[in-house]
Amino acid sequence: MSLVRKLKPDRNITGALVPLSMLPIFGLTSLIFGIPIGLLTLAVMVALIGLFYLYVFIRTWNVFLLVLSADCAFFVFMLVIASGKLKDTEGNFMANPFDSTEFALAYFTGLVFFGFVIIFLTLTRRLKWRGREIFELAAEPVEETGNGYTSRPRPVGKVNYSPQQMRAYTRFCSSHLIALPYSTSKNITLVLVKNSEEFGRLLGLSGDYRDATWVNFDVDGEVSVHIAQKDYLDYRQPLAFDQLCTSLGQVFIDFFDLYDKGEGVRVIDRLDDLKISVLS
Amino acid sequence: MDFQTAAKYASLLSKDYAEDIFQLLVNYQAISASEVATRLDLHIKTAQDFLESLEQLNILSKEEVLEKKRPYYRYILKQTRIVIDIDLMQVKREPSQNSMSAHIREKENAGARFSVARSDDYITSVTIWTGIGREREERKIKLTTLQGKFLYHLPFPKAEPLTVDEIMRKAAIDESLAPEIVDLVQLLEKYNVIESISEAAG
Repeated sequence: MSLVRKLKPDRNITGALVPLSMLPIFGLTSLIFGIPIGLLTLAVMVALIGLFYLYVFIRTWNVFLLVLSADCAFFVFMLVIASGKLKDTEGNFMANPFDSTEFALAYFTGLVFFGFVIIFLTLTRRLKWRGREIFELAAEPVEETGNGYTSRPRPVGKVNYSPQQMRAYTRFCSSHLIALPYSTSKNITLVLVKNSEEFGRLLGLSGDYRDATWVNFDVDGEVSVHIAQKDYLDYRQPLAFDQLCTSLGQVFIDFFDLYDKGEGVRVIDRLDDLKISVLS
Repeated sequence: MDFQTAAKYASLLSKDYAEDIFQLLVNYQAISASEVATRLDLHIKTAQDFLESLEQLNILSKEEVLEKKRPYYRYILKQTRIVIDIDLMQVKREPSQNSMSAHIREKENAGARFSVARSDDYITSVTIWTGIGREREERKIKLTTLQGKFLYHLPFPKAEPLTVDEIMRKAAIDESLAPEIVDLVQLLEKYNVIESISEAAG
């Protein structure tokens, strides 16, 4: 398999910026209101991140995301204790947690456990949105260049499936973070999400999903493809747009065939074989 | 009767004072513009223009009369019925063999924005921008469902162009509906959204 990348290197740091931005906020609130308030502020932000991943889990049914939510819940609990604000009926739950061996024990065991699990899930790409892999796969057979971009969707073919088959395939795509599904009574649209872009897409900050890159399956089995200009410009070369759209549609049709034969794991293997960085 | 002539009739008949002037013309053997103007309290120029227009449409005839060496016209009604009869089929544009066999595709960098229907199987409108700088204007063209389906199947820029006929077949559009498709193609060609490729080049 060719490892020549057709996409430009990923220089998007949004994914890292979101958690990192909590640090200066924590520092500033600690400086202005004191460390306990700073810790509580941090706890609120971590809780929000945890809720976000819980929402992503509900949206995608990727169970590994629950680890992130659980991790956030654990750290929220530890931060609240560390702030010294958690009280029982008899006073402070833990008067000075920073001097407490029990607190240190609980904190570090949790840190080791969640750290290990999250690193494992990251390295095995269980938490990775597969947008970049899909774009690379779509571009693989396209050698011709010549631009020809248009915002119009392209009908790329027809597949025969029952609504149940399609729903199951959609679930497969979302649970493996291959694409984010949007369903209506007549269509199932699979929107490609690159790693680090999930925040904007899932929080609705990236605009209408119909302006993004998607593959649409309608009730009659017609498959159509739309590639957003932003994603097209992410390729190093102006690939023949017509062929690129057809190829992207074909990738999802091939995935559907594999999944339908019970070989969904081959889909994941194909994506993993591209060996795209776990962080991009 | 052609559209332009019918439009002249309609324009004259729509005047507030048209019925009053016709009433005078029917009841008087001959009448001058100043007589009409004073009788109906109109400006003489208004009456004069109206009568001249009727004369040009052959509804009135006019004869020159001399009074104190100053000539003027008296108008006489020539016909007592006005029939506006337009054959609408005269403006129907039957698509020619050429227009149906033209190889077309979307033009590269057309700069048009296509809005897709919620069902994702046809285009609902095309937005184009005309002019440059401060003169730049947005124009939105709403499409019929059939036109939208046609446009949905239009080959991409740089893709192999197809004939109008072939695209219609792909979009499952009946041949009898060709006029509205050809009309759209011609409009979008005018705005450089669609390009026609000669067979040799294509």
